[in-house]
Amino acid sequence: MTALKIALPKGALYEDSVALLKAAGLDTTGLDAPDRQLMFDRGDWMYFIVRPTDVPIFVSLGGVDCAICGRDSLAEQGLAVSELVDLGFGACTFVVAEPACAGHSAEEHYRRRGVMRVATKYPNITQRYYDSIGTQVEIVKMHGNIELAPLCGMAERIVDITATGKTLRDNNLVVVTEVLDSTARFIGNTASTRTDPRVRELATRLQAIVVPAPQKGDTAVD
Amino acid sequence: MIPVTPRGFKDILPTEARWRERIITAARQTLSLWGYDPIETPTLEVLEVLEQGGQLSSTPFRLFDVDNELLVLRPDVTLQVARMVASRLDVADLPLRLRYVQPVFREEQSLRAASRQFTQIGVESIGLSGALADAEVLLLAIDVLEVCGLKDFTLCIGTVGVLRLLLDACVSTSVVNEQWRDEMLAACHEGDAVRIEGLSRIEGLDSRLTQALRALPKINGHEDAIHRCRNLAEPLGLTDGLDQLQATWEIITKVGAAQQTRVDFSVISSYDYYTGLVFEVYAPGLGVALGSGGRYDRMMRGFGKDIPAAGFAFSLEAVMRAMILQGSDVQEETNAAVTVLEAAAAKAAGPEAIDPQAATDVFLRAARLRAQGTRAVVVDATTRPVQKES
Repeated sequence: MTALKIALPKGALYEDSVALLKAAGLDTTGLDAPDRQLMFDRGDWMYFIVRPTDVPIFVSLGGVDCAICGRDSLAEQGLAVSELVDLGFGACTFVVAEPACAGHSAEEHYRRRGVMRVATKYPNITQRYYDSIGTQVEIVKMHGNIELAPLCGMAERIVDITATGKTLRDNNLVVVTEVLDSTARFIGNTASTRTDPRVRELATRLQAIVVPAPQKGDTAVD
Repeated sequence: MIPVTPRGFKDILPTEARWRERIITAARQTLSLWGYDPIETPTLEVLEVLEQGGQLSSTPFRLFDVDNELLVLRPDVTLQVARMVASRLDVADLPLRLRYVQPVFREEQSLRAASRQFTQIGVESIGLSGALADAEVLLLAIDVLEVCGLKDFTLCIGTVGVLRLLLDACVSTSVVNEQWRDEMLAACHEGDAVRIEGLSRIEGLDSRLTQALRALPKINGHEDAIHRCRNLAEPLGLTDGLDQLQATWEIITKVGAAQQTRVDFSVISSYDYYTGLVFEVYAPGLGVALGSGGRYDRMMRGFGKDIPAAGFAFSLEAVMRAMILQGSDVQEETNAAVTVLEAAAAKAAGPEAIDPQAATDVFLRAARLRAQGTRAVVVDATTRPVQKES
């Protein structure tokens, strides 16, 4: 049998992801300090270290069988993958934020101009959120340092992800409202999940680690 | 600038076209041996008419014609066949076994490696129901894929009945509403176990129902999976479709399809379309289903007829990709060699002119070769020879 291919996101979720797989009994030798190596062949498991925003496409196209991925990337890209386990770590929140000194200027823009300008790295989540509350927005897609957009007047507000709120505070921004919570997920390619029992077995092992004890009766037919 | 095709559309050059032709010929022959007759449907349909049969599961290309009619390029053939059967054929013609090979067109987001045109090879079994009819569609699917040259593939089969009854039972308690059902259905459709978990944590909802909802999409295996589903659904009295699935399973495994088949209750496909059996076909490395099918007994009601129907379609292009990934030995045509006959120059008229008699002879010789099944091409010996086809 060929090795099960697993994608791991570089960056904030990486260390917790490796620790979790190790706790589940997988051979993660070398993953602790990957240096520049992107692929690790460990017999039964083959690991691919990818950019967090690329994880969904690797999984949906079947480049890998399964992966660990933030809910944020999944929600933004809307690709077809099977979300199997909420891993609990990597918690963060999508928020709408604006400069602390903004007062009601964003509402004023909206009242007089009929539209609000919002900068974000997550245009799809942003559009869906504003659609859901019926507010017309002009979305500016950025690639980083979103905080600058309202500070220089390019946009009234931002939609960004925050774990501790420190970056927002450091840049004198305040949260207007929360949009969406995100944690890390164990996800499977749908074809692999249905045809390769190892994906569901791994999901069950991970579920057992992240959730204390399942409620009575929950696992009767698993 | 090099003129290009629209994104997701492509030209098919001879090497690929020959391979496609061989697969299509083999598939047509096999489906015909199963008693299926060919049909063709129009490329365009009136959107409003097509939607009477059910929601379109993909985004079609739309256009207005000069009559201001909103038309769509067919995104799928099944709804068209339902419309055709309901409007053009008589109940006395039933049962019908129909097959088709046609391109379908679907809008897809850019930069996601998705084609917007692909060729569906499919069948519709109309006016037949029961385990025997379901087994026929499954066995035929396996047969035709093997004949096409695909070696390694898996049918994941399930039934939508249990989930439908479970959701009905939840909604009938009035603890949850229709909106909850839609959300739960979407979560099941996406295989989103986390959201199913979240949605099932509702105060006041019978815990046996919510546990069943959480467990059902995780049931996967062989015959044991049907038993596990039964253990889950029977105490709740929600076994709709399970007996038929079990009977179908027994038939197809006895006929020898056990190796290519798995049972998976997370397979629900486009739920509002299917009424019983539902299945998806996967091949290693492909990542997405190469084909799908099932039973849709209610589809024709939208067109005013109550006729059971089931079917299966697969993407020719997906099968070809799967075969390449599997390193299948893609045999080039054995009779592909072309015999080249040269028409000689007329000596008297100089090297530039063709001898009329020589030309006539060479065409007649070529015709005799073709009659024997040999490919023959006539070339002009007075000009630079045409490069031989490989």
